[in-house]
Amino acid sequence: MKRLLGVCAMGLLLAGGAHAAGFEARSATSAPELKAQDLAGAQKTLADYRGKVVLLNFWASWCPPCLREMPSMERLREKMAGRPLAIVALDSAETADEVNGFLSKMRLGFPILLDPDGSNTKRWKVFALPTTFLLDGKGRVRYVLTGPTEWDEGEALGIIESLLAELPAKAKSPERGPLTPK
Amino acid sequence: MRFFRLLLLSAWACSFAVRAAVPDHQVFPAQGPQLLLWVASERGRAEPEVHAAQQLAAQGVETWSLDLVAAYFLPQLSSSMDAVPPQDLADWLRVAQASGKRVVVYAVARAAVPVLRAAAMLEPAERERLCVMLMYPNLYTVAEPLAEPDFLVLGSLSGLRVHVLQPRRSAATPWLPGLLDHLAKQGAATSHVILENLREGYWARETPTEFEIAESRRMDAMLLRELNHWGCK
Repeated sequence: MKRLLGVCAMGLLLAGGAHAAGFEARSATSAPELKAQDLAGAQKTLADYRGKVVLLNFWASWCPPCLREMPSMERLREKMAGRPLAIVALDSAETADEVNGFLSKMRLGFPILLDPDGSNTKRWKVFALPTTFLLDGKGRVRYVLTGPTEWDEGEALGIIESLLAELPAKAKSPERGPLTPK
Repeated sequence: MRFFRLLLLSAWACSFAVRAAVPDHQVFPAQGPQLLLWVASERGRAEPEVHAAQQLAAQGVETWSLDLVAAYFLPQLSSSMDAVPPQDLADWLRVAQASGKRVVVYAVARAAVPVLRAAAMLEPAERERLCVMLMYPNLYTVAEPLAEPDFLVLGSLSGLRVHVLQPRRSAATPWLPGLLDHLAKQGAATSHVILENLREGYWARETPTEFEIAESRRMDAMLLRELNHWGCK
């Protein structure tokens, strides 16, 4: 009986210690290499987004929380049109056919990159989906979020705005057309 | 005569103590030579798992089904599995081996942790007679983005045969080689199979695909197939 009570107490203690998901601030960690192809076969690296704030989202088409947050990422893209924010969604360890199958059901205007062999997933040490990295204009990881969120409002939007505010004045000026074309 | 009575009383008390440590489980009896110990995940035992256990028994594989969160009144959390006393499970494994049947443990998700800890507590000869199948085992201590994964040290697994069943549609799939390597470093003889088009816990998903629903209904066949292909007989 004592053992049973001990186990119960430990269980409650562990349960109480669980934290709600939230953004984790990083002290300007240098980003791992990103090397992936988009759906058209073009090679992409982080250098393609230099000078912009980058929202790098690891996802998969079989992952319900990933799909739940996608519409808010699309709304964020529309809201930020012309501003130096790059939204990049990297599909983890699926084929182009699987990704295209999903995209035929949900139209997204931001670029989708492929990681069929999971090599980027491993370089970025992603253990759960979705996982999202927010990079500053110098390409450094500043925030990490494991789990979904509503990207076009609240804390997420506030963090993105704060990273945009750090950019030099020239980079912040509105551009013509969206940064993440359809 | 008094000494003999005392001896009997002591033996009864000892046997009760051993039985008291064995966690409550459901038994699906069968006459065949195999005994499958099915340890449900930290989410508890799902109805399709009970159905599969019944089907296995109907095909001659005796199955004991253990729901650790129910047996120990624990919250449905991964961390709950770490709180299960491994000695209880080691006792359970010994009781199963005492049946004389070929014992295979099948543990799901974080339930792999107490099962492997229990296996590490067995004598080497007992461990060599045991086979373990792990469905998407979670053996991390810490798994944080941008940091190397850290796996639990579970004790010596030398002589233990471990077969990992990994659903393809899982964030853990790219990390499977590292997990197998970790088990091998602790002495286990490992093998694995990728279960195509399936997600973790596919038998208890809120929005399952048609394929997942079908596979949930034939989990018994999948387990029998793996038992036979693996060759742990």
